[in-house]
Parts: sequence; C-alpha cells; structure tokens
Amino acid sequence: MGKYRGWLIAILVLLMAATWVIVRTPARLGLDLRGGAQLTLQVQTTDKVPQITPQVLSAVQSVVQKRIDGLGVAEAVVQTAGDDKLLVQLPGVTDPEQAERILKGTAQLLFAPQKPGTEAQLQVERQIQAQLLLEQTQLLLEQSQNANNPEALADIEAKLAKNRESLAASQQAIANLFAPSELTGAMLQEAFASPVAPGSPNWNVIVRFDPQGAELFARLTKEIAGTGRSIGIFLDDRLISAPTVSAQYAETGIIGGNAEISGGFTAQTANDLAIQLQGGALPVPLEVVENRTVGASLGQDSIRDSLYAGVAGLVLVLVFMVAYYRLPGLIADIALVLYAIFTYAAFLLFGVTLTLPGIAGFILSIGMAVDANVLIFERTREELRLGKTLYRSVESGFDRAFASILDSNVTTLIACGALFALGTGFVRGFAVTLAIGIGVSMFTALTCSRSFLFYAISIPSLRKPTWFCPKLETLK
Amino acid sequence: MSFSVNRQRSLWWGISLVVILSGLMAMAISSVSLGSPLRLGLDFIGGTRLQFELACSTTNTCKQPIDIDVVRRILNQEGLGNSSLQVIDQYGIGIRTIPLGVEQRTRLSSALTQELGAFNPAQTQIETVGPTLGGQILRSGLLALLVAFIGITIYLTLRFQFDYAFFALVALFHDVLVTAGIFAILGLTLGVEIDSLFIVALLTIIGFSVNDTVVIYDRVRETLKLNPALNIKEVVDQAVVQTLGRSINTTLTTLLPLVTIFIFGGDTLRFFALALIIGFVTGAYSSIFVASTLLAWWRDRQPTPTPSPVT
Repeated sequence: MGKYRGWLIAILVLLMAATWVIVRTPARLGLDLRGGAQLTLQVQTTDKVPQITPQVLSAVQSVVQKRIDGLGVAEAVVQTAGDDKLLVQLPGVTDPEQAERILKGTAQLLFAPQKPGTEAQLQVERQIQAQLLLEQTQLLLEQSQNANNPEALADIEAKLAKNRESLAASQQAIANLFAPSELTGAMLQEAFASPVAPGSPNWNVIVRFDPQGAELFARLTKEIAGTGRSIGIFLDDRLISAPTVSAQYAETGIIGGNAEISGGFTAQTANDLAIQLQGGALPVPLEVVENRTVGASLGQDSIRDSLYAGVAGLVLVLVFMVAYYRLPGLIADIALVLYAIFTYAAFLLFGVTLTLPGIAGFILSIGMAVDANVLIFERTREELRLGKTLYRSVESGFDRAFASILDSNVTTLIACGALFALGTGFVRGFAVTLAIGIGVSMFTALTCSRSFLFYAISIPSLRKPTWFCPKLETLK
Repeated sequence: MSFSVNRQRSLWWGISLVVILSGLMAMAISSVSLGSPLRLGLDFIGGTRLQFELACSTTNTCKQPIDIDVVRRILNQEGLGNSSLQVIDQYGIGIRTIPLGVEQRTRLSSALTQELGAFNPAQTQIETVGPTLGGQILRSGLLALLVAFIGITIYLTLRFQFDYAFFALVALFHDVLVTAGIFAILGLTLGVEIDSLFIVALLTIIGFSVNDTVVIYDRVRETLKLNPALNIKEVVDQAVVQTLGRSINTTLTTLLPLVTIFIFGGDTLRFFALALIIGFVTGAYSSIFVASTLLAWWRDRQPTPTPSPVT
C-alpha cells in the first residue's frame, strides 16, 4: 500500500501548511462582523459630464479617497463598484453622518473679482438671495411636518420648485456681476477650520494657495484693493462670501498666499468644508444610495451566534456519519475536519473577506461536502451486498460515484457563477466562499477519504463486516 | 421491487400542484394587497432601517423601558408618522421609514436621544437603501436566477439529453415556486419580508436540488446502458430506490447545520436558513417524485424508444 502512504504524507504536509497559514494570517472580517459603516455612492451625471467614463470614475475615486482620508478613519477603503458606483468602507464608524456630509458637495471653489460699477446691484441681489434662502428653509421645515398630508405636501412642493427656480436665477444674476477668474480650489495647498476669535462659536476656513495660486491671489487683490469692489468666493457656483480688500494692499496685493473664507460657519460646517477643499473638487456630484452600518458589539454577537451554530451543525453531521456509516463514516469525518481546515486556509490565502452570509455559506458547504462521501459509501454498500470483495466494493464505490459527484458540483458551480457575475457586495462573498468550498470538498472527499479508506482496509484487524455495512455477515 | 415511484405518480404530482397552487394564490392575494407577489424588504424597495439600544441597558441602569408612544410622537413631529416601529427587549427600538437623507436621520436620532437618553453606539444599526438601487438589486437578482437556469439546462443537455434537462428544469421551477409560495404565505401572515439573501437562497436551492436530480439521472443512464431492453418505468423505479438512501442522508446532513443556524444563528440569517430548509426538502421531493416520474411518463409516451443516452 505504498501508493496510499505517499498520499497520506502529502495530505499531512498540506495539513501542516494550512495550519501555518491559519496561525499566521489574520482573518479579514467584513464590516457586518467587526462593526463599521459601508456607503455606496452613485456618481451623478451633469450637463457638463453627460456620461460616466472610467476616467471620470477614477477621478471621483481619488477625490473621495482624499476626503475620506481627511476624516482620519483607520483602514478606510474606497473601491469602485460597477460602472458608476463607489464603495466606501469605514471600519469602526458607528454613524457615518460626517462622511455622508463631506461627500455631498462637489466643492468647486472659485475666487473672482467683482466687475466695476456693480456695487449697489450686488447688495440688492444678495438681499434677494438671502430672502429666498430663508423662504427655502421655512418650506423644507413645512415639508417634513406635513409628510402625512398629501394635499398640503403638493402645495409645498410646488412652492419649493418655484423657490429653486428663483434661487437659480438669483445665483446667475450674482455670478454675472463678477469677472471670469482662474483662481480655483485646484490651486490650494491646504485648508483648515479656525475660530474667528478664540472661543468664538463662529468659524472661518483658512486656505493656503500653492505658489501659482498665491501669485494669482496677489494680482487679484491688488486689482481691487481700495476700490470698494469685492472678491467673490464661490462654492459650487454659490456666492458664500464677498470680502473687500482695504487700500493698504493697492501696491502689492495680499502676498503670502493665505486667504480667509467667512460665511457664517459653525465649527462643524467649517471643518467639513476644509476637508472638502483639501480633497479637491469633485468633477460630478455624488449621491449616497446605500448605507449599511453595524455597531461593533452587534457584529461580535453575530460572529458568536454563527460560530455556535456552525460548530453545533458540524458536530451533528459528524455524529450522524459515524452512527450510520460506521468505519467509513469515521474516515469521512476525518476528511470533513480536514475540509473545514483547508477551506478556511483557502479563504485566508485568497483574501476572502468573511461576512455573515459568507459564514453561512461555509457552514452550508460543510453539509454539502458530506454529499460526495454519502454517494460513495452508499455505492460501496450496494456492491458489498452484491457479494463483491471489500477492496473491489470500495474501489467501484469511488469509481461509479465519480460521475454523479462531478455533475452535481458543476451544477452548483454554475449557480455560484451566476451569483458572482450578477451579484453585488456580500452576495459575491457568499458565491466565492461556496465555490471555494466545493473545490476543496472535491479534493477531500475523493483524494483524502479514498487514501484513508484504502489504508484502513489494508489493516486486517479493521476488516470487520459490521464496521462497513450493518447486517452483513461475512466479508470477502 | 416493492416501492414504485411511478405507480402513485398522480398522488405525487397532486401534492406538488396543491402546494404550488396555494403558493400562487398567496402571491395573487399579496399582489393585490401589497403590490408585489412577495413582501419586498428594504433591499428591493428602498428605505431606512434604524436600530438603537439605550446606553443604560449595557450597565443595567435604565430607569424605565422605552415608551413607544414617545417614539411615535417624535416620528410624527419629524413627518414620519407612517413608519413602522417596534420596541426590542424593552430598551431598544427598531424604526423602518422611507429613505432618509443624512440631515433628516441625524435630526431624528438627536430628537430621540433628547427624549429617551443616550444610545450605545456599539449596538446601533443603520441601513439605508435608495429606491433606484433597490430596483437594481432586484433586477440583477432575478437575472442571476435566469442565467443559472439557462446554464444548468445547457450543462445537463450536454451531459444527458434535452428531455432530461427539461424535466430537471421543471423540478427546479417547482422548488423555486414552492419556496416563493411559502414565503408569500409567511409574508401575508407573519409579515416576513424577502431581501437579497432570499435570492441567494433560491440560487443555492437550485444548485443543490439539481444535484439530487442528477444523481437519479446518472442511475437511470447507467441502468439503461446495462439493460437497454428494460421498460423506462422500471428503470426509473429502480434508480429512485437505489439512490433513496443517499438522497435522504444528504438532505439530512445538509439540513442539520441549517437547522442549527435557524435556531441559534441570529435574526439576519434566520429566514435565510428557513428558505434553504424549505427549498432543500422540496428539492429532494421534486427530484425523487417529480423529475423522475415526469421523465418516465415522457419517455413512455414516445412511440419508438429513443436510443440510450451516451456517457
């Protein structure tokens, strides 16, 4: 039986390698297990960018990455998903509200000089805009209060639409009062929030330009210093502040490349804007279309429950196999334990992220892995009852069951393939764990249990008929 | 041969028809009253689900359980009056609303904190799915099912013959219909919703159920090759009996871990496990009693016996 000894040694080596992998590699747990927030962002098209090309998506990804980095969340991940979506993972975050806020605005910053002779007009237009904004806040409040009243709601929504139109018109009117400019948020080196005065509830955002931006800024401030005209600071095409520059800068302009943006910010809004500016402008707006956030201890509870369930299920299967199939059942059990170890090691090697459905897939595959052995042993019993020798019966059990085992595994793999190709997120995780499980089970159920069983029947004292098939008197 | 699956085939087909028809009726009722054959969850129609637990619950210092009327009042103030609401273990709440933006959600949670006390962030759960994304998830799930059906039919046609593949497919539809029908009934009676995991469960069910069918078909093919003269009904009867032990034992070993998940596995996985349990039991039934008897019936009706399939 030297042939099987060779296999046994190979399996032993593999077992040691798998154990080494399991000991050395930490498991990659999904956010549903270790706690954290996962956001799916959908990139929106605009008039300027009517189609989301891979270039646009990767530009958006890099801006999102920078903004997320600004949050200081450890191990945050930004990935693309599909043609127009990004996946943001924030481990340990229990409420991703700040992340959601800073991802919303596109943060196009523009510094533009006011056109001469428009001072009075600007004041009027800004007053109109302030009035409209106040009206909008009022309407939004009414909207949320009347959510159960369809009639009132329709009325409010009509008003809101009108308000939005007026706001857009007012925004355009204001923009027309300013000359075109090249000084944008792209020329920023740094942006941070700072209180207007120590301890004040009002905050400003301080920006520092890069050398090119600093030069432009100096030229811009020199041009309007002492004229009474202002520099318009636009965020996403909306004027947020319009400071004037005093006459003392008329000679050189403001040099050093620092500017202060004041716009009635609180500490939070100033901080959000600083992060947005620091990360650069988004070429297109984003929408958070999915948010799945799980608290850390909820995740731990699910791991614990699932592990209990898994271990209990495994033990029941092991007991059943020995009770029903005797010695071959015991051998199948050893193969099954090997299956669990190899599969887990394969998850770690392939870098599979373990999610709750993934663990369910793993537990499920334990039950399914037994199927191949059940097929083989049922066949072996049949052959024994027909009066064949033990060796022949075991051999034809393996040979004849092979076609069925292959067919059934291929069909399950087809279902896995469909899940993987068309599913998203955790659905894919489930498909991968199930597919790896099927691959490993082909190996353990065929090679491992075959070697063990042939090795076992080569030992005369193990060749007892009742150990293979109950009610069988003699073994040939 | 004492047991003949073909002799009582009208009984087996009758049982299947009754179960499927009652499921279809539940789906029809549900379509009228809920607007969809099954009660669709957050994943498919969009919405926000929030789950909070009071921080004092961890330290056992809560003075009083959460008053559902207070929560209801806050929801009304926020204009979310027709949300569903439930108190979990006295000190936790679960809220299900229309999709909420970040401002609205933050306002709601701070209003709740003000009235009820601080929540434990480690026990918080937030889920929001936008309505358009929900539609996409549903469509891609149904598409995955279709692709799997086609893929399995092609594979079985290559390995066996087209009529084998066709009746295997009938058995798979049977399993999907029974599982979906029972969930339609559960949706009407207990308010059970289906989510992405349900689609995953259906795909796993068809992958697994086709195994049983394939094993029986393998036996039919093998027996036909050995005795080409045998009547197809007898061949099928033999194949079913010979593989019965395997079918029962495999289903049993797969059900054992599922039952443990159903009992211990926590809320997320409970109905996933239930769908699989229903589907696997139905899958074993349809392979033994439906796919095989349909094949025998069909081949028996052919005027000239078709040549035995190639291996």
